[in-house]
This record gives sequence, C-alpha cells and structure tokens, in this order.
Amino acid sequence: MSVWSDIILFTVDLLALFGVYLIINISLNIQRGFAGIPNFGLMFAIAGGAYITGAVATRLALVMLGMHTNLDPIFDNIPVLSKVDPLLQSQSLTSIALMIILLIIGAIFGAILGLIQLGPAIRLREDYLAITLLAFAEMINVIAVAYKPFIGGITGVQVPDVFAWSGEYRFYIATAAILVVAAISYVYAEFLGRSPLGRTMKAIRENEVAAMALGKNLVKYRAIAMVIGSAFCGMAGVLWTLYGDTVTPTYHRFYWTFLPWLMVLLGGLGNNKGALLGTLVFTVLDKLIIYYKHSLAGMLPFDVVWLDQVLLGLITAIILIYRPQGLLEEKPYVPKELEAKLKSIEKK
Amino acid sequence: MFGIGLPTIVGGLTWSALLSLMGIGITLLYRTTKVPNFAHASFVTTGVYASFTLSLLGFHPYWGILAGFILTGLEALLLFYSILEPLRRRKSSVFILMIGTLAFDILFYGILNIYADYLQTVFKASARAVYLAPKDFSIMGIPGIMFMSLGMLVISVLGLYLLLNRTTVGIALKACMENTALAQTIGVNVSLMLMLSWFIAGGIAGISGALLPMYIETSPDIGVLLVAEMFCVSILGGLEQVYGAPLGGFLMGFAEVVLTSWLASEVGPWIISYTPLLPLGAMALTLIFIPKGLATIKIRRREG
Amino acid sequence: MLKVKNLNSGYGKLHVLYDVSLECEKGEIISVIGPNGAGKTTLLNSIFGIANIYSGSITIDGKETTRLPAYVISRMGVAYVLQMLNVFAQLTVEENLRISAAYSKVKDINKATEKIYEIFPILRERKKQLVGTLSGGERQMLAISIGLIRNPKILLLDEPTAGLMPLYVKMIANKIKEIRDMRGISIILVEQNVQKALELANKVYVLVSGQIIFKGSPSELKEKHEIMKLYLGVGE
Repeated sequence: MSVWSDIILFTVDLLALFGVYLIINISLNIQRGFAGIPNFGLMFAIAGGAYITGAVATRLALVMLGMHTNLDPIFDNIPVLSKVDPLLQSQSLTSIALMIILLIIGAIFGAILGLIQLGPAIRLREDYLAITLLAFAEMINVIAVAYKPFIGGITGVQVPDVFAWSGEYRFYIATAAILVVAAISYVYAEFLGRSPLGRTMKAIRENEVAAMALGKNLVKYRAIAMVIGSAFCGMAGVLWTLYGDTVTPTYHRFYWTFLPWLMVLLGGLGNNKGALLGTLVFTVLDKLIIYYKHSLAGMLPFDVVWLDQVLLGLITAIILIYRPQGLLEEKPYVPKELEAKLKSIEKK
Repeated sequence: MFGIGLPTIVGGLTWSALLSLMGIGITLLYRTTKVPNFAHASFVTTGVYASFTLSLLGFHPYWGILAGFILTGLEALLLFYSILEPLRRRKSSVFILMIGTLAFDILFYGILNIYADYLQTVFKASARAVYLAPKDFSIMGIPGIMFMSLGMLVISVLGLYLLLNRTTVGIALKACMENTALAQTIGVNVSLMLMLSWFIAGGIAGISGALLPMYIETSPDIGVLLVAEMFCVSILGGLEQVYGAPLGGFLMGFAEVVLTSWLASEVGPWIISYTPLLPLGAMALTLIFIPKGLATIKIRRREG
Repeated sequence: MLKVKNLNSGYGKLHVLYDVSLECEKGEIISVIGPNGAGKTTLLNSIFGIANIYSGSITIDGKETTRLPAYVISRMGVAYVLQMLNVFAQLTVEENLRISAAYSKVKDINKATEKIYEIFPILRERKKQLVGTLSGGERQMLAISIGLIRNPKILLLDEPTAGLMPLYVKMIANKIKEIRDMRGISIILVEQNVQKALELANKVYVLVSGQIIFKGSPSELKEKHEIMKLYLGVGE
C-alpha cells in the first residue's frame, strides 16, 4: 500500500516538474528553434512570472474575497494569509478565477520583460546577445532581493493556496493545472510551426539576408517570437509558484536557463516532439537521482546530488559531439497541398 | 578624501586586480577560439581549492598560485581536447562551442562540490567556507593579498605582452587570432596554438582563484557567482583587445568597492544591496552601445 | 612533382569535384580556368588538405599527402596564397614575412626576407607598417611573398589578380613568371582572367561543374572555339 502511494506521489511530483519545464522548453523552442534567438536569459521571464505572483496574489485574493485589512500583504504575509486561505478554501470558483487572472498577469508581465530583452536582441551578434540576456536575467534577482516591498526580500513570501479547495487531492489538481497549460502551449507551438508565421521565423533563422531580401521584417518576427516565448515563461513561473504556494528570489540560472537549454538540445532544436522527449528524459533522470539519493547516502563521502551535475555535463557534452541534432531531428514541415504539387512535378 | 579610508582603497585595488586576472583569460580565449568561455567559473573555483588543499597539507596558501596555475591550465586543456577540439573539427557554430564550455562547467561544478564534500568528511575541514586571510602576511598594516594580486596581474600582463610580441610562438598565436585559415597556410599548427592559449588562460584563472580566499570567503559556488562579473570585466574592456581586461577590471573593481562604499556613506547603506546591478548593468549597456568595449574608443580617437 | 589522381572531394555532404586528375612538373605554370563555382578553389583546397577528400590520391614527389593536415602539407613545401584575407592585417609587413618563414624549412630568415625585398622593393619601404594600411596591390604582393619566402616547391595561387588595377595585374603576372624562372618552382594558378592565364601557362586545365573538360597547351585551347566561347566567354 505504501509502495503504491509512494509511486503515485513520485509520479505526480514528476509530472508537475515535467509540465513546468515543458512550457519553458516549448517557449525556448519558439525563441531559439524557430526564430534563432539564443535566449540565455530565459530565467528573466520565468522569475518575472513567479515574483509578480508573489507581489500581487495576496492583494488580489483580498480584493476578490472582498476582505479588508490594515496589515500589509507582503510584510505581514503570514497573518494576512491565515485569514485569506480558509476563506479561499471554501470558494473553489474564486480560487480558479484567481489562478486564471494570475496566469494572465504572469503572461503579460513575461511579455513585457520579453520586450525589454528585445532591445539587445535586435542589434547584437549571437554570442554577445546570449551573455547580455543572461545579465538581464540576473538583474531581476538582485532587485527582488534588494527591494523588500516587492516580494519581501531574500525570505520571500507565501501566496494564497488556490488549490486548497481540493483538499487531499490538492497536488493532483495542481499538477493537472500545470499539465493543461503545458498541453495548450504544446499544441499552440505545433500550430505555430505549421503556420506562415512560424515558417517565416524559421526562414529568418536559416538565412537572415535571404529573408530580408524577400521583404521579411526581421525585427518584427523576432519581437513576436520573443514576446510569445516570454509570455509562456511567465506563466510557467506563475504555475510553479502556485504549485508550491511560496516564492523566494532565488531563481537560479542553472535550473531555469541552462537546464531548459540542455533539455531542448537533448531532444533536438526546432522541433516540439524533441522538446517533449528531452524534457521527459531529463525530468525522469533528475527525479530518479533525487529519489535514490537517500538509499545511496552514507555509502559515499559526498552528497549524491552532485552526481546529477556530473551526469548532466557529461550527457550534454556527448550529445553535442556525437549527436548535435539531438535525439529527434527537425523535419521541415511541408503543407499538404504543396506536397501534392511537388509530387506531381516530380512525376512529370 | 570623500570619507574613503585607506582600507577601502586597498580593497578596491585588490578586488580590481583579482577581477582583471579573471577577465584576461576570457578575453584571450575569445580572441583565439572565438568562444565566450563559461567554464571560467570552474577554472577559478579550481584555483581556490588548489590553495585550500595546500594549506590543509601545511603549505602556505600562496603556493597555491603555482599549483592553481598548473592544475587549472591542465583542466583547460582537458576541456579543449575533450569537448572543443571534437566540436571544432565538426565545424560547430560558436554558439555550440559556448554550450560545450557550459556543459564542462556544470560537470566540473559537480566534481568540485564532490571534492569539497570529500575534504569536509575526510579532513573535517570547513571546505564550504574557505577563508584563508588569517594566514596572510602584512606590510605596514596593508594585507599581503594586495601586493600579491597586483604583482600577479603585472606578471601576467607583462608575460603575455612579451609572449605575443617578442616570440615566434606568440606572433603565430596573434596570427591565429586574426585569421586561422591563413595561419594554417603558413604552416602554423592552429590546434597547438589554441591549446597554448587555453593553457595560459586557464592558468591565469587558476592564479586568480588561488588568491581569492585570501580576500573573501569562498565556496564551491564562487565561480558560478562571479562568472557574470568576469564576463562583464572582459566585455567592458573589450573582447577584441587582449589587454582590455585590466581596464575593465579596475573600472569594475573600483566601482564596486570604492564607489559603493562612498555611496553608502552619502545616500545610505541600503544601496549596498543593489551593488550587484553595477557589473550586470554596465555589461548590458556596454554590449548594447559599444559592443567592442571601452578599449576601442581610444583607438577610434587615435585614428580619427 | 605534383600528381592528383581521380580526386573526388568537397565539403561535408557537398560533393564538388568529380574524378579530377592533374599533373604538374617542376618549373611549370599550370592554369586552371573555368566559370564561377566550377570548383577551382576547391581543387586548391583539396591539394592543401582543407577540403574533405572522399576518394582519389594526391602525391608530392611520390609522397602521399592525401588527408594530411594543412600545416603538415605546408611544411612539406606547398605554399598557398588564398584569394581573400591572405595577409595578417594586424601585424607589420616584416612580421608577416618572418612568421611565415619561421614555420617553414628556411634557416636564414634575414636572408630570405632580403631576397623578398629584392623582388618586391615596395615592401621594403613598408616593412614597419601595419598591413592594414597597405593598398590592395601591395597586399597582393605581400600575400605572394608570404608564400614565396617559405621557399616552396609548389606555389598555389588563387586568383592573384582579382580586383586589382590593370597596372598591378600586369606587374603581378610578370612577377609570377619571374619567380618561376628564378626559382624553378611549380605554380598552380587559378584564374578568372583567361587572357592572363593563357599567357602565363605551360599547361591549361578547364574545370566545369567539378569536372576537367579540357587539358592541354594554351595554343591547343585557343583552337577549341567551342570551349572558349561556351565556358570562358572568349571569342566571337
């Protein structure tokens, strides 16, 4: 019985992580895989979504529940939540509405951060750009730590539990919510890849000069990719915060920029199935290492989590050298009517 | 002088020299291999643990300068031969090379953490908070680390200058920086030259790492924490200019230590928590507005 | 001297040359001509070990050099003057010459440099200047000198007169002949300028779409009006 529930808990936790990373990796795929933007500042919009949730969620809950208090929702975070949470628990519809509004806010905030990143994105060379975006992303943490009224400084804040109404099924529902958004983003990216917009982005990625010669506006398409991608990242940040119902300004580029990159490279750049596969392989590996950590602890004179990094570095290096196209190669999408035309030409 | 005491100035000089030492290698590698080297983080951390290990074994930590230089130089060679050469042979893009250095850095981050854990359990040493300043010497009340870091910087820059301008190998290395295809046609073994540049760059990063615990408390995370700043130093000075890094290093070092301490006394201590914005902001602005770095501004004026 | 046999080569998956064979004797000038994109530069790159060789062989003085790295081939006495970016702009004229000599079998670098200055006196005047400040013609002279100072057995020249003023074209052409006569080295010359190429060459190869379609003396080629007109745009 306990083994069974262990497995279920493990799976639910795994799926939540998988879902959040899938959203992020799809977003990276749109930015880099489609439009060629080397976004080494993915964390910017993810942390942005997470921190904005921390900053507004409690205030928003107070308004939606029609409550009044003299306490500050950030500095007196715990006392305020002790009043908000019980009320929210009994109102499932308000909870869901709160979550959706937060997702929208996160997407908008993420998109705005994407627009800020766009300044360098349209004028810099690939390697310079990657470093600039990385620097941008680091700045949001500095500000979140230094400016206490934002999310309470280094200790962070708790946010209202929007899944409390589901009682003992809380984590199942939370995971389901993440997976729904992940599925939507996946379908959207598939659709985008086949649309004229997505194909134009890929054309620009392959050859900027040729695309310009065809009258395509580089800046416009890069901006679109950046904004769409960052909006998804913002939502991922919101979901991860709501899932754990707390946020601290400790989002690290290793987990929220480098890991997504490695996953997408593992799966294969520029194709969504690859992103899906890469995400799955990585998250399962990661969770398994953490799961078996306890059984290995004590046998080795060091913490087993570090093997995670060693393995990760090794796998990435091996993939770069021996299978640079990733597990699944990008296949050009040819619309059906065009394919038929091509075939008829071949026959002639 | 504006209420800035001698310790602040000493700190500013030390930090500037250390930052410069970290930045030099990044610039050199960018010039030779055209890759922004993320593995500089673990290079520096390796230097830290070189001097820490030696001090555990009873040597003075400053012996770590030599050990750090050699050890990290070899680490850089390992990166070059195990990842970068195979990628270069495949004609991978600069971006993929960059991811390659990142992969190596993550790998070594794990290894260094394992090593620190090992020291902690086996030697019962505080390997996650390495601070060796108590073992430092001092001259007229000024800590030795200032003299050592400035000295190592002068030696590194001078050595690099002599190598690049007075020796055949150095001129060949300069030739490789400018045009690898042409260097090949005149019989230069480009791969050997790149190897040399990786050894030197890694070695200098190791020196800076070996000196670091004499000035601040370090941990296996120190390289990761500082890597953005290292890039900033190198970019501010100009990635196209081998000697640009010290310029960036001193600007950044003084801004961080001296300027911040002055601002804290004038505006209020709350401003200190915003200090990390300085290098990041400076780097972003430099890249956006003068992507070739400050060192190029001077040249433009000379030509015009 | 240099023998290329049934060479198939290209870059990665891009197959450029098909079954190309070529021979060059000591002291000969061979011109390879043909339309743009025919694979002329790829031929030189293959000889020099830069392109990917799929099959066939290349020998120099009977020694197999197929698939050796470029710097080794270079040290065996092959000098390659690239078409573009063929000088180090950030080094001085003298540094350019000395670094090239240093990585060859030349022993007395000072003497070798002196000899180059005798052939191209203008370079002596410019020797302390950064190459970035030289004119196009001067750069081309330096580029050839960088190859020449290595005292090569074989000199590969990729369009040495492209983009130069007529005055320089004539001068460079004369120098190429002079060098051959003086040192007895073999020269493989890739040229767009058909007139110049025919004037200089002992033997001509016409390369079209990666295949040799003609091999013979310049006068023989002039008889082949078809080829001259169709591929080289020369004739009535």
